[in-house]
Amino acid sequence: MVPVLRKYFPALLMLLAVISVVWAINLGTLPPADFVFNNGTEVKTIDPAKATGVPEGRVINALYEGLLRSVPDGEPDDLGRTPTKPKPVAMSDSYSVSEDGSVYNFHIRENATWTNGDPVTAEDFAWSWMRFLHPETASEYNYQLFYVNNAKKFALVELEEGDPVEVELKDRPVQGQMFPRGTIRRGQLLEIIQAAAEDDHSEDDGHGHGGSGGGGPAIYVVEFQSSDQHSEVHVYTTVDSDDDEIQSLVQSYQGETDLTKLQSVEHVLFDFDYVGIKALSTHQFEVSLNSPTPYFTELAAFYPLHPVHRGSLEKHGDREFTKPEFIVSNGPFVLRERRIRDRLRLVKNDRYWNAENVSLNSIDVLAIQSETTSLNMFLNGQLDWDTKPPNTLIPILKERDEWVSTPFLAVYFYRINTSKPPLDNPLVRQALNMAIDKQSIVDNIVKGGQVPARSLVPPGMNGHQSGYCGEYNPQEAQRLLAEAGFPNGKGLPTIEILYNTLDSHRDIAEVIQQDWKKNLGINVSLRNLEWGTYLDTLRIGDYMVSRSGWIGDYADPNTFLDMWVTDGPNNQTKWSNSFFDEGIEKAKYESDPTERMEIFRQIEQKLMDEQPIIPIYFYVSTNMVNTRIKGFTANLQDVHPLHLLSIEPEGSE
Amino acid sequence: MQVLTFLLKRFGWMIITVWIVFTISFFLMRQIPGGPLNGERVLSEAVRARLEARYNLDAPISEQYFSHLWNTVQLDFGPSFKLQDYTVNEVLAQGFPVSVALGILGMVFAITIGMTSGVISAVRRNSAYDYSFMLMATLGIAIPNFVLAAMLIVIFVFNLQMFPAAGWGDLSQIILPAFCLGAPFAGYIARLTRTGMLEVLSNDYIRTAYAKGLSPRTVVLKHGLRGALLPVVSYLGPAIAGILTGSLVLERIFVIPGMGSHFIEAAIQRDYTLAMGALLTYTVLLFVMNTLVDLAYSIIDPRVKLE
Amino acid sequence: MSISDHKQTELERLSAILQEAHEVQGVSLWADAWKRLKRNKAAMFSLWSLIAIVLLAVFTPLLPLQSPIYQDVKNRELLPPQMESYSLGIKEYDQETERLQSEAQTHAEGSTEREALMAEVDARVQKHPIQLYWNDPGFISNGMISLRLMIFGDFCIPSLFGTDKLGRDVLSRVFWGSRVSLACGFIATFVSLLIGVSYGAISGYLGGWVDNLMMRLVDVFYSIPFIFIVIFIMSFLSGPDVRGVLNEYGVGQIHVFFLLIGAIYWLTMARVVRGQVISLKNEQFIEAAKTIGATRMQIVFRHLVPNVMGIVIVYLTLTIPAVIRFEAFLSFLGMGVQAPDISWGLLVNEGVQVITIIKSYWWMIAFSGLALAVTLFALNFLGDGVRDALDPKLKNK
Repeated sequence: MVPVLRKYFPALLMLLAVISVVWAINLGTLPPADFVFNNGTEVKTIDPAKATGVPEGRVINALYEGLLRSVPDGEPDDLGRTPTKPKPVAMSDSYSVSEDGSVYNFHIRENATWTNGDPVTAEDFAWSWMRFLHPETASEYNYQLFYVNNAKKFALVELEEGDPVEVELKDRPVQGQMFPRGTIRRGQLLEIIQAAAEDDHSEDDGHGHGGSGGGGPAIYVVEFQSSDQHSEVHVYTTVDSDDDEIQSLVQSYQGETDLTKLQSVEHVLFDFDYVGIKALSTHQFEVSLNSPTPYFTELAAFYPLHPVHRGSLEKHGDREFTKPEFIVSNGPFVLRERRIRDRLRLVKNDRYWNAENVSLNSIDVLAIQSETTSLNMFLNGQLDWDTKPPNTLIPILKERDEWVSTPFLAVYFYRINTSKPPLDNPLVRQALNMAIDKQSIVDNIVKGGQVPARSLVPPGMNGHQSGYCGEYNPQEAQRLLAEAGFPNGKGLPTIEILYNTLDSHRDIAEVIQQDWKKNLGINVSLRNLEWGTYLDTLRIGDYMVSRSGWIGDYADPNTFLDMWVTDGPNNQTKWSNSFFDEGIEKAKYESDPTERMEIFRQIEQKLMDEQPIIPIYFYVSTNMVNTRIKGFTANLQDVHPLHLLSIEPEGSE
Repeated sequence: MQVLTFLLKRFGWMIITVWIVFTISFFLMRQIPGGPLNGERVLSEAVRARLEARYNLDAPISEQYFSHLWNTVQLDFGPSFKLQDYTVNEVLAQGFPVSVALGILGMVFAITIGMTSGVISAVRRNSAYDYSFMLMATLGIAIPNFVLAAMLIVIFVFNLQMFPAAGWGDLSQIILPAFCLGAPFAGYIARLTRTGMLEVLSNDYIRTAYAKGLSPRTVVLKHGLRGALLPVVSYLGPAIAGILTGSLVLERIFVIPGMGSHFIEAAIQRDYTLAMGALLTYTVLLFVMNTLVDLAYSIIDPRVKLE
Repeated sequence: MSISDHKQTELERLSAILQEAHEVQGVSLWADAWKRLKRNKAAMFSLWSLIAIVLLAVFTPLLPLQSPIYQDVKNRELLPPQMESYSLGIKEYDQETERLQSEAQTHAEGSTEREALMAEVDARVQKHPIQLYWNDPGFISNGMISLRLMIFGDFCIPSLFGTDKLGRDVLSRVFWGSRVSLACGFIATFVSLLIGVSYGAISGYLGGWVDNLMMRLVDVFYSIPFIFIVIFIMSFLSGPDVRGVLNEYGVGQIHVFFLLIGAIYWLTMARVVRGQVISLKNEQFIEAAKTIGATRMQIVFRHLVPNVMGIVIVYLTLTIPAVIRFEAFLSFLGMGVQAPDISWGLLVNEGVQVITIIKSYWWMIAFSGLALAVTLFALNFLGDGVRDALDPKLKNK
C-alpha cells in the first residue's frame, strides 16, 4: 500500500488541500443585517438575572422587556440631551403608587406575549424576581431589590426564629438543575441550632448546599400547620445529615426537639410568600417597599429585573434556555444566531405587543474590542453604530455628521487608599487633586468634550447641586503639601498609580504622573494590571492610587454616593466618615425630594473635602452613527433602545 | 503493523504530554491572582460562596485537581466561567473550525506561493526573478506578521478598498489574514524548494531525462518537484506549530472568533476552564500534526523508518 | 636496506609530514569561516549594519536625543516629522535658578526675602526638569546622560520621526526602545544557550537511559504550545504577591520576561548539541582526556562543548531574531514589556492603533516598524551567511 500511496502522494496532498479550502471558505455566511453595531465585547450572558454590564444591557433590553422601559422623553436640555424616563411603554401599560410611595401596583398589558405565544403574566414577574433573588442564582445585582419588603432576608438567608420559611426538599425532577424546584413546604421556623460562631469556620462557609448565612452549618426546626389545627415538627439541615459538624451539633444539642429524624434538604429560606412581591391576579403585579424609594421606577426598567420564561427555563435548564434554538423571550427582538466573540443576530419579534412600531428587521451585535478596528469598520460601512472611537481621532470625527455625543451619567475618577501614609492625610489628597490639570486631560487626551470634574456626582441629576473640590492650582497644591509637612515633595515616598490595561487609562496616568512630578516634586510610578487582577488588587487594598470609573445605574445621586459608606463593598478606599454614613441612611427614609437633595449635597461636599477620591472628568457618550439611521437621540444615560431605531429609505435626503 | 506500533507509541507520549501540560497549567492558573469570579461590582460574601460552590472552587485543591482531571479524561471541560451561557466544549466547537479554516488557507497560501517561487528561482537561477524572490522570502521570514498585517491593511483596505477591515464570515474577510499568516512560511518554503530543486536538478538522471528528449516543463515538474517535496514536508511540522501561534495575533487584529481569540481572552479574564480547554486542544493538535508529518515523511521517502 | 636505514627514512618522512602540518595549520576553522563570510556581501553589509544598530542602542544616552518620556500634550501632540529644532531648556532653567540664588545672597542672612528665595531655589532644584526627562536610568546611563549634557548642552535632534499622541518624540522612543528589544534578544538567547548546550551536552555524553529520558522530555516540550504558557506566567507575575517578592530582590518583571523567553527557546539547541556530542564522544581526544583522569563534567564542558561551538553559533543566529520577534509579538499583544519601558513591539502596537482610513499617523508605525524589520532582516541575512560560512552543507536547512 505504501508504494501506491507514495506514487500518488503529491496528488493526494493536492486533493486534500482543495477539499479543505472548499470547506474552509464555506463556513456559514449570514445574509447582511439591516443594522450592525459594535457592542465592544462579548456579552457574558443573556440571562437577565445573571448579567451585569453595559454591553449585556444593550442586548437584554432588545431581547426582553421589563415592567417599564427607560426611553428618551421630553425636550432636550441646553446641552442637547433628552432626559430618559422609565415609562409604562413595556410589559406594563400603567402603574400606580400608594400615597406614602411604598407600594407599587403595575398593570401588565393584556396583549403582552412570549415569543412562543404564551401570555406574559404577573406570575411570570413574580417567579422571575423570585429566581433573581434566590441565593442559588447568586445574581450579582440582587441587592437592587433589597428595597422590597423582606427581599434581603430571602436572598441572603437571614433567618430568625419565628420567621415563616419555605423548605425545598431534595427531590428536584432534574438532577443538578435548579428549576423546576423540588417540593416546597411552608412552615414556621421554631429554632435554629448552630454552633456558636467561631471565626475559623469562615473557610467552610459556602460549602456545598448550605443555606445558612454564616457560622457553619445549621439545623432548622420547622413547624408545619396542617388544616385541622394539628401541627407537625420537622428538623432539617442543608448539608449532608452525616456531615461531621452536623453530627457534633446533634450530639451536643440539649433542647427538647427530637433530632433523630434529621432530614437533608436543598434549602431552608425565608418564605417568598412573605416577600413584598405579589401577583394579585394575572395582570396585577404588586411590589411593597421598605421605604419610599423615589427611583424605584428606574429599577423596574432595569434589565436584570426583566422576566424570563419559566416553562423553557425549567425544560432546558438555566444555561441552555438562552440558546438561540430554545430561547423564549418577550422583547422587540428574538435571538436568531449566536457566534461566540463574533456576533449575535437579532431579528424582529412579530409577536411583540408593539411590533408595528419596530422598524428594524435584523440586527447584528458585534464584539470587537479594538477601538481602531471598530472605527475602521464603521468608516468602511461595515458598522452602523460605533460606541467608542479612539480618542486620538475624536477631533476629526467631531466634525462629521455621524457624531452623536453628549455628557451622560458617568464619572472617571481616582481612588486613593486612605490607609496608606502619607495618603491618610487629607491635605496630601487635596494637594494631589489640585495638582492635576484636568482641563488639559479633557482637551488633549480624551478630547470628546468631556467635562473636567470638580465633584463626583455628574451635573444634570434632577435637582442635585454638586459638591466642589477646587480648580487646578499648582501653587495652592504646593502650599497644601507643605502644610502637610512635605514641602516640595520632600519626604514623600514614590506614589504608585494603578490602572487596568487600556491605552487611554495609561495615557491619563502618564499625564498625571508628569503633573505631580512637575507641580509637587513627587515621584510617581505606574502599574498596570489586566481587569481581573486589577479588581482583586483593589479589593484587597494593595494600591495607593487607582484609576476608577462609575456609571450611574439610575438617574439619582444615590447611585454615586451610597458606595462610599464605611466598609461598603465598592468603597475600597478604607475611607470612613460617620456624617456621611448617617446622611446616606437618612436619605433613604426622606420623602421630601428637596430635603433629600439637600442631604446629598451636604454629604457629597463632605466627600469632596475629605477627598478619598479625585474626580477627573465626566464622561460624554461618543457615538458614531450612520446618518441613514433615524431615532438615535443623545440622552442622559446613553441608552439607545434598538426598537426605536429605523432606517431612512435611500434617496430621501 | 509497524505503523500501528508507531501510532500507539506516539499516542502514549501524547497522553503524557497532555497530562504534564494539564498539571502545569492547572496549578499555574490557580496561583494567578484575580479569580474567575471577579466582576465589575464586588460580590457579597454569600453570592461569592454560592458561585464558588457552583464551579467547585471551594473544594480542597487536590480534590479540584482530580475531579477536573477526571472530567478532562472524559473530554468534558465543564462550563465556561466567563461565557456563562456556554460550556467550554461548545466554545471550542465554535472556535476550532474557524482557526482550522484560517490555518488551512494560510498553509495553502504558504505552500503554493512558496513552492511556485522556489521552483522559478531554481530554474532561473541567478536571474532577477531568483534574486527578487529570495529577497522577498527573507523579508517574509524577517518581518513579524503583525507588521505585515498593518502594512497590508493600509494598502488593501484603506487605499485600494479591496477588502473589509475585519470580521469573519465571507471569503473576502479571510484572504488578508490567511495571507499574513502564511507569509513567513511561504518564505521558508520558497527557500527550501529552491535548494531542494537545485540539488535534484544537478543529478545525473535529470540529464538523462533531458537527453531522452523530455520537455523542460516535464522534467522540472515531474522529477525536480518530487525531490524538492521532501524538505518541504519535513518542514510542515514546525510550520503548523508556527501557524497555530501566529494565528493568535492575527485573529486579534482581524477580529476573528477562533481558538486564539478565545484563549487570549480566557487567559486575560481568568476563565480557567476555557483557557485549559483551549491549551489542551492546542497541545493535542500540535502532537497529532507532528505525528502526521512523520507519517507522511515515511510515505514519500522510502529511506525513512518509523520509530 | 638495514633496519636503521628504514628507521631513518621513516623519521624523515614523519618530520616532513610534521613540517607540512605546521605550515597548513595557519588556517583554523574560524579564520576559514571568516574568510568565506567576508566574501558574502549581503552578510557583511548586514553585519556592519547590526554593529551600528547595537552601538547606537548601547550609546543612546550619549546621543543628543529628546526625552523619550517627556510629554507635551498641549503643544506637540502627534506632530508629523519635522526639522524644527528643540531645546531641552535645562540651561535656561539652571541660569534662572542661579540668578535666584545670587539674588538671595544679596539679602541679609535670616531675612524673610532671603528665606523665601532660598525656598524657591530649593524647590527648583527639587523639581529639576532632568527628572522629568528620563525614567530612572541606571548608573551607567546616568553617567552617559551627564556626559551628553556636557557635550551638547540643550541641543536636541529635531523630531525627525514626529511625535506621538502624548507629544513625545518618536525618534528618541525608537532609540530607547531598541535597547529593550535588543537586550531581550541577546539576554534571552544567552539563557537559551546556557540551558540548551548544557542539557544537550550532558544528555549526549551520558547516553543510555538518561539520554533517552532527557530527549523524550524534549519531545514532550516540543508539543507544548509555549506561547500560551508564557501568557499564563506573565499574568502570574503581574500579581501583587509575586511582584512584591520580585521587587524585594530588585528584579523587575522585564528581567523575568527575558529569562522566560530564554527558557523556552533552548529545545532545538539541546537536540543539535546532543547530536554533535554523540558523534564526538568516541573521538580520541576524549579518550585521551579520560586517561589523564578528567572528570565527566570536565570532559563535557572543557572538551566537548568547545568543539560544538560552530554549530551552536549557527543556531544562535537563528535564535536571536526569533526571540526579538517573540518579544515584539508579546508586547504587541500587551503581555510583554510594560510602560514606562519601551520596546519596538510596544511602539508598533501604539502605531497600529492610530492607523485609520480618515487619518493615518503613519510616522507612529513606519519608523518603529522599519527599525524592527531592518534589524530582523539583517539578523536573518547574517545568520544565513554565518551558516554558509561555517558549514556549507547546512545551507538553508
